[in-house]
Amino acid sequence: MKILVLLSFLFILSGCNLRVLDPKTQTASDQAFLIYLSFGIMMFVVLVVALLFIAFTVKYRETEKNRHDVPKHEEGNRTLEIIWTVLPIILLIGLAVPTVMITYDVSYIGASSDDNAVHVNVTGEQFRWTFEYENGKETHKKLVLPEDREVIFHLTSKDVIHSFWVPKLAGKIDVLPGEENRLKVTPEETGTYQGKCAEYCGTLHADMRFEAEVMEQEEFQAWLNEE
Amino acid sequence: MEFYLFGELIVLPTDVVAAWVSVILGTPIVLYWLTKKRHWPVIWDYATSTNHRKIGTLYIIFAILFFFRAGIDALFIRLQLVTPENQFWVFQGDKYNEIFTTHGTMMIFFVAMPLLIGLMNVAVPLQIGANDLAFPFLNAIGFYLFLTGGMIFFAAFFFNAAPNAGWTAYAPLSTYEFTGGPNNNYYIFGLQISGLGTIFAAINMIVTILRLRAPGLKLTRMPLFPWASLITSFLILVAFPVLAIALLLLQFDRLYGATFFVGELGHPVYWQHLFWIFGHPEVYILALPAFGIFSDIISAFSRKNVFGYTSMVIALALIGMLGFMVWAHHMFTVGLGPFANTFFAITTMMIAVPTGVKVFNWLFTMRRGVIRIKTPMLFALGFIPTFVMGGVTGVMLASAAADMQYHDTYFVVAHFHYVIIGSTVLGAFAGLYYWYPKMTGKMLDEKLGKWHFWLFLIGFHLTFFPQHLAGLNGMPRRVYDYTWEDGVFVYNFISTIGAFMMGASMLFVIWNVYKTHRPKKENVGADPWDGRTLEWYVPSPAPEHPFEKMPIIDRRDALWWAKQEGKPLPVAEHHRASPVSIRTVQPFVLSVALTIMSFGFIYGWLWMQIIGGAASLGFFVLRAFNDERTAVYRKEEQDNEQ
Ligand code: HEM
Ligand SMILES: [Cu+2]
Ligand SMILES: [Cu+2]
Repeated sequence: MKILVLLSFLFILSGCNLRVLDPKTQTASDQAFLIYLSFGIMMFVVLVVALLFIAFTVKYRETEKNRHDVPKHEEGNRTLEIIWTVLPIILLIGLAVPTVMITYDVSYIGASSDDNAVHVNVTGEQFRWTFEYENGKETHKKLVLPEDREVIFHLTSKDVIHSFWVPKLAGKIDVLPGEENRLKVTPEETGTYQGKCAEYCGTLHADMRFEAEVMEQEEFQAWLNEE
Repeated sequence: MEFYLFGELIVLPTDVVAAWVSVILGTPIVLYWLTKKRHWPVIWDYATSTNHRKIGTLYIIFAILFFFRAGIDALFIRLQLVTPENQFWVFQGDKYNEIFTTHGTMMIFFVAMPLLIGLMNVAVPLQIGANDLAFPFLNAIGFYLFLTGGMIFFAAFFFNAAPNAGWTAYAPLSTYEFTGGPNNNYYIFGLQISGLGTIFAAINMIVTILRLRAPGLKLTRMPLFPWASLITSFLILVAFPVLAIALLLLQFDRLYGATFFVGELGHPVYWQHLFWIFGHPEVYILALPAFGIFSDIISAFSRKNVFGYTSMVIALALIGMLGFMVWAHHMFTVGLGPFANTFFAITTMMIAVPTGVKVFNWLFTMRRGVIRIKTPMLFALGFIPTFVMGGVTGVMLASAAADMQYHDTYFVVAHFHYVIIGSTVLGAFAGLYYWYPKMTGKMLDEKLGKWHFWLFLIGFHLTFFPQHLAGLNGMPRRVYDYTWEDGVFVYNFISTIGAFMMGASMLFVIWNVYKTHRPKKENVGADPWDGRTLEWYVPSPAPEHPFEKMPIIDRRDALWWAKQEGKPLPVAEHHRASPVSIRTVQPFVLSVALTIMSFGFIYGWLWMQIIGGAASLGFFVLRAFNDERTAVYRKEEQDNEQ
């Protein structure tokens, strides 16, 4: 029990350093918000259960005194049962509504609203990534993106299924053979972020990593135009 | 290691060599010990029996053996991941992929499932006053199919061909083009054959529960474990054929170049749908029986009836039904679009409601009771908080947009170990300590049981709690390596320590069983726990024909009320026609035929396919022409006329 308390403490402390909870785009912020919200609601549930659990196991433990008691028969309790059916429903609605809204927000639907958007073709294959820019420039280990400009990824695979994931930029999206998935993000802070393949794809799946570097716009243009 | 065999160069990695050496050295020792202790007659008795208790015991014994094997896989995984950039033995790259695949697949299909089916076999007939399962012969076949599938899967490793596409075997990775060789054929045939056995077990359970209950034991008076078994069996009946079909399609893709999951007309996502239409109900197939076990145990050890019995049954049924409507929550990142994603997010959240109802009913069963903390109850008490922690991360995962961050990371690994170990494994342990007297006549040692419990539970939380954080810090699952910069070293290090604690706790189980059977202890009586349900009415261990005269049941927990009132249970005048048990080696013969056929397919040897296939088919033809039961039927009719 002690360990658990300690660990949950660690959990709260380290919260802000964990990559998923350190978003650099609106998409990832929305997702982090959902994580905090669901965590909060769920901690309330855990707390209620824990309190009842401790109270009942302490209070009704067998002792010398009650050893031979026969507890009263108890069919159930309508009121209580209604409470613990309805209350969770309300809590879940509280989670479901933002879930629906944010799920629509983070999904790429239809065309881009922004003419100025950067398009990157992302190709996964065993065991490397290829990032191809509109001017034909190609990279493998390093994905370079401009700050404060919309980026649209067009993702497809040459062989098996992979999954494109830069935790600080957005949740992952699968990279399928014979199909194009899209993902839209607008990086809001310069820096270098880890990217990984998140769908098990064979022998060297663990090595299918890359770096996403977000630069200021001019710097990005310069990088894009250099050989 | 490399050597020449029949002029061919054979390369064997050292882990496979080690496995062969230990088998070659170990087998003679075990055989010698069995002979010296004169265990062969008992083994023969169990192997040829169709009695539900004996078959149940066999299920459990083999499940525990497989548990050790898959547990060793888990320890290897944890050793490889103990520090960043680690090189433990051979477990990098494909070898690592093989051990997490065999770990996961064995744990689900050859540990969790047979543990539960074994406990159902032992307890359900006794709890409902049946003399055996409705089809004892089919029951033996079911067991042998499970064993055959398990052994085929188990053997893969010895031929250096363990499956390596993950327990989910996603196409196209699992198709011939990307994972050639026999490896994933073992996966297909291991699961196909054991899955058929599971379907047989489910049919048997359904018929038994619907047709063979004691007089007066209406469904509404039935204890919750049989209820859970009934609903689970219906889930199996729907879900497992889907798996069978998926595996068959994959087999055609792999062996005959069909293109169900690749190419112009096929699609890899079809596999994911099929797999999860089976896979999610499977999760509830694992959880519901455990819920049933806990309901019975919590009620018995609180000396109180189950709180909210009706809502408990309704909740079981609702969970089972909703379980079929949530499969795509495993596919939120596939790109099915926001409509599908939110639909499945909401259905998934809905399952939390009946699950919550069950948790509160368990808590309130204890309220105002007298809680006796014996080992089975200890496991039940460990279950409640552990399972709730797994359940709440489940709701967090259901939130589709958030799941795009959690998906395929260690957060998910932590979540499903919390729910599967929290419910199924703790439930199976609880059931094992609880029904051990009914299976063997002996009680397991309480003190060692408590050591087992505490080490296991603390080790469990140490292992899996930090994995939530590793996942949130960006650690994907199924990777054999990570770097210092990833910042997940501490979590992984703690996790490995915890895993070894869990491993150590299992040594107490071995010690406990050894100790319990050592000094020829007296058998305990029929009712060592002061139980409430019918299994405690018959002697321990349960005899072959436990209910000579059927008890008449007039209310829930009838045995308990009879004990309270100091009266014996009333019994019926006539005895009932009951299932007929026989001695038979036929299931074993079928098992051999299917093994031959499977190896034929796994290695593509046509002659072996034909021999094995013809033998299996011939077996069915022979069975169709003989029925051992006819003689007995006539006899019972005459008995009743007298
Ligand atoms: C006994 C202690 C256990 C430990 C230390 C353990 C550890 C692990 C670890 C570290 C992984 C992740 C491997 C990876 O993604 O690279 C894993 C995967 C898995 N485990 Fe366990 N596990 C244990 C018990 C169980 C049990 C009891 C079950 C189920 C009954 C189970 C089912 C699974 C499944 C289904 C996977 C997924 C395999 C895959 O990704 O294909 N584990 N386990
Ligand atoms: Cu990958
Ligand atoms: Cu699911």
